[in-house]
Amino acid sequence: MNSLSYFLSSTKNETVKLKRTFAFWLSVIGAFFIPLIYLLYYLLKYEKLIPKEGENPWDSFMTSQITAASPLLIPMFIILVTSLIVQIEHKSLSVKHLFTLPIPKWSVYFGKLFIVLGLVLFTYVLFALLVFIVGYTVGGVHGELQMWEHTPNVSLFVKLLFRSFISVLGIIGLQFWLSFRFKNFIVPLGIGMVLFITGLIVYQAKESIYYPYAYSMLSLFPLDSKDVNAMVWFPRVALYSIGYFLLFSVLGFLDIRRMNIK
Amino acid sequence: MIQPIIKTENLCFSYSKSKNDISALDLEVPRGSVYGFLGPNGSGKTTTIRLLLGLLRKQKGSISLFGQPFEENRIDNLARVGALIENPSLYGHLNARENLKIAARYRGGVPKNRIEEVLEIVKLSYVKKKKVKAFSLGMKQRLGLAISLLNKPELLILDEPANGLDPKGIIEMRSLIRELNEQHDTTIFISSHLLSEIEKTCSHVGIIREGKMLFQNTVAALKNSQTGKLVVEIETNDTSSASEIAKELQMNPDIADEQSLNVVINRKDEIPGLIDNLRNRQIAVYQVRIKDNLEELFLSLTEN
Ligand SMILES: Nc1ncnc2c1ncn2[C@@H]1O[C@H](COP(=O)(O)OP(=O)(O)OP(=O)(O)O)[C@@H](O)[C@H]1O
Ligand SMILES: [Mg+2]
Repeated sequence: MNSLSYFLSSTKNETVKLKRTFAFWLSVIGAFFIPLIYLLYYLLKYEKLIPKEGENPWDSFMTSQITAASPLLIPMFIILVTSLIVQIEHKSLSVKHLFTLPIPKWSVYFGKLFIVLGLVLFTYVLFALLVFIVGYTVGGVHGELQMWEHTPNVSLFVKLLFRSFISVLGIIGLQFWLSFRFKNFIVPLGIGMVLFITGLIVYQAKESIYYPYAYSMLSLFPLDSKDVNAMVWFPRVALYSIGYFLLFSVLGFLDIRRMNIK
Repeated sequence: MIQPIIKTENLCFSYSKSKNDISALDLEVPRGSVYGFLGPNGSGKTTTIRLLLGLLRKQKGSISLFGQPFEENRIDNLARVGALIENPSLYGHLNARENLKIAARYRGGVPKNRIEEVLEIVKLSYVKKKKVKAFSLGMKQRLGLAISLLNKPELLILDEPANGLDPKGIIEMRSLIRELNEQHDTTIFISSHLLSEIEKTCSHVGIIREGKMLFQNTVAALKNSQTGKLVVEIETNDTSSASEIAKELQMNPDIADEQSLNVVINRKDEIPGLIDNLRNRQIAVYQVRIKDNLEELFLSLTEN
């Protein structure tokens, strides 16, 4: 077999393993969480939310949902879902089986990492769809909200989500490594939580640009500045996040490859 | 001589610095053999198997499988091996068939019907759609075995495979081992802490204690290495009188419990004479059994 077929069969197996797991359902629930709250919010409190003359109601509807999710929920979701996916292997005592199969160890490690990325991306996509569905639904129920009269600024929304997704790659790299290394679910979860809470404290400092657990917040900073159009697909945070992701993935693999499987 | 299928030289490993868990182990498993790897709990059987398969990194020595150094040929070697290490690796939230499919897909080149075939071999076809977390211990063990058979391995490594099996399962396991060995030329390396199990199925035996090899040879050679004497256990209604009689016959009687007596004889044909003597004095004889003194040999080898 060649490298590609090793990788493909590994990722195919990872999707099969996700079936009926809590990790999968968590990623669905995670996508529903905020749009559902906004559904109720806009249905019940629509009077306060009626847009002023010339205002596009979609702008605040969409961006406020991302800002609600980004600082807290997304990093916690990432930490939890990464641990859960790797826990499938530990719980079933499968690492020893995987590493005695006639396949390269990298195909196991990166195949699984790829699926973690895929599942997180899936959550983002589902979230985006739900935001639109909820928007048109509340607009249908309460015509005063003028959702149907305006068109959502899709490209801005997608850009924000994309930047948010890129900004969590760094944490995924490290959390995945920790989850693989420690059989006990609590260890990666605990370390992740501590690092993340530290991020909440330090993110306003200039140096937080070097701290991946703060990136989910930093990815939204340009929102505060006036010129939204100046936003780029890859701000500095995104590049650093990708850098951390590559670094942790490679270091993680080199470590796991040499690890004694007890 | 044919090249051994597993060979280790001076293999050393320890989990912690304080003690050696495997020390200077020279293992030699001939091709085509059924090799019993015997040792008490904690002697290092599982550790050795993990080393053989590259799960633990050896600290000294060499390991070769199929005549090739393991590390350089990891993937090629593993493609020819099937293994079941300690508790089987199974995804509880998936069913038996899905578990097999995953293993088959990783390996690549496993024909589709092989999955049904191995389920048939381990007699699990009737539960192939049941989730594995609802399996009993023995059923899980069987499924683990099925997974290790997927690739029709040349070398099958089984770590205490009888673990959790019922008597019928153990008998089936024995006949499966025999069949794989005789009809498919599979070399089988099987660890156990029960000598009786090894004696029934294996052609070769290695005895390990505290990470050191104490004895390694054919089972026949192990049997020959004992003294010619036989220990016979006799169950009677009057142990003390029976003991007196045995003493007269210089059979070194030793009262084991209320009903039974152990005597030492040189040859089997001394048994009828002993029974005649007991019957002449109206002692009822319920049972006469030649004791397997391999078990004692094993204990004396592994106890200190
Ligand atoms: N994960 C581990 N960490 C530290 N020490 C270990 C670990 N696993 C085994 N050991 C030690 O290594 C030695 C050998 O253990 P091993 O599991 O190989 O024994 P075994 O022969 O397979 O025993 P059993 O018959 O109980 O399965 C023991 O002294 C044990 O305490
Ligand atoms: Mg063991």
